[in-house]
Amino acid sequence: MSERARVLAWRLAILVVLVGAWEWLTAIKAVSKTPGLYWIDPFFVSRPSAIVRRFAYLASDQVRLSIWAMALSTVQSTLWGFLVGVSTGFAAGLALGRNDRLARIFEPYIIAFNSLPRIALVPLITMIFGFGLLAKIVLAWSIVFFIVFFNTFQGARSVDPDLIHSARFLGANDRQIMSTVIVPSALAWTFASLTPSISFALIGVVVGEFLGGESGGGLGYLIIQSLGTLNAADMMVALLTLGVIGIVMALGIKQVEARLLRWRPEYRSRP
Amino acid sequence: MFDQEFVAIVGPSGCGKSTILNMIGGLVAPSAGAIELDGRPVAGTPPGVGYVFQKDTVFPWRTVARNIGLGLEYRGVAEAERERRVREAVRLAGLEGFEEAFPATLSGGMRQRVALLRTLVVDPEILLMDEPFGALDTHTKIGLHAELLNLWEARHQTVVFVTHDLSEAITLADRIVVMTRRPGRVKLVHAVGLPRPRDVIKLRESEAYGREYGQLWHVLGEEFA
Repeated sequence: MSERARVLAWRLAILVVLVGAWEWLTAIKAVSKTPGLYWIDPFFVSRPSAIVRRFAYLASDQVRLSIWAMALSTVQSTLWGFLVGVSTGFAAGLALGRNDRLARIFEPYIIAFNSLPRIALVPLITMIFGFGLLAKIVLAWSIVFFIVFFNTFQGARSVDPDLIHSARFLGANDRQIMSTVIVPSALAWTFASLTPSISFALIGVVVGEFLGGESGGGLGYLIIQSLGTLNAADMMVALLTLGVIGIVMALGIKQVEARLLRWRPEYRSRP
Repeated sequence: MFDQEFVAIVGPSGCGKSTILNMIGGLVAPSAGAIELDGRPVAGTPPGVGYVFQKDTVFPWRTVARNIGLGLEYRGVAEAERERRVREAVRLAGLEGFEEAFPATLSGGMRQRVALLRTLVVDPEILLMDEPFGALDTHTKIGLHAELLNLWEARHQTVVFVTHDLSEAITLADRIVVMTRRPGRVKLVHAVGLPRPRDVIKLRESEAYGREYGQLWHVLGEEFA
């Protein structure tokens, strides 16, 4: 068995054991015949079989707001927040990274705003932007912006001055130095921030959906609704869907990163 | 310094060899005196000056061909013309087959060759070289000496070549400037009496080379004592 297959086999084994234990331990009684006394109470954690049943139901057209619609809404808000956050964070990081005075002027404001827990802003953002898509985008943006900003800022500052000099000697003007030296150099740093950014964008969106109510839709709404109806199975459906969304988006970003940073030796061997 | 001359500057480390280059290139201002090119003082990076750094300054995110084409791109040379000149340069340097390779996949010697070509492809009148082969092994170095001399015979740029390697200086230069220990001053300007074109391998075996080396080593040796 190759190393790869062995690792895969172990992973699969762990999954089977976990899911099997979950299903089994929530079915057997700790004290025989006493109602409710399970080894693990399915009231709180549900059971794999129940989750699958609920998922099938939520995915069918019997419900007004299907799991697909909710997932789509969450993905949409996340991607928008991510895109807006990355582009503004990148532009600001580049501008401040290459201009010392600007950096010194804005430093206290950026530090102050960044040290504010973004969750605390949720009610304010909701008050200003309402319960819809916009509020969730703003929330995701407020987190992503700073992650990308700080990385790009660092990247723009740490551009090798000898690369700038050699471009200058080859006849580059300021604009060309920006586009051929500083941007590609800084991009390597920016990319390092993209995977955490998408995860944080998702966090921002879900928190926004907690407050957003049904008009906002989204998986965060399903979670809060399940809390209201004490429905662990629905909550698990939402959590697992969120997990899958998170993984798929992170993998997508890794793909883009590997493509754009293919000049780096650490990406060379990969397809 | 004269037009079309190949001058090497040798001296102990820290004597300010590189600083001289940086002043000619307009990267640092002289603390006293002035640097003039064609009778005009240097302010900022002068046009027509190429600079090959000691450090690897090939852009890692660009392929070999796109690195070599950089200077032409900056000058707004049309793409067809750019491709033609890059192709010619690649052929001259024997880098065929590596056009689309990224620098991370190349050896140090090949990367420095790309850096040299990138500088030469825009035809500078003055070439400043700051220990460009300092980090390479002797074998690669001698190969690049031959290549540099070939390219130089074709164009006769004015070259200022900084090195701490005396044999490199004798192999390449018309005149050698020997500097003193810190604070660096010019100790001696020596005209190399070796005919051109030079064969970098045979040259080292010749008596004349040995004489030059002996003389200069004696002078330089005083600075290390």
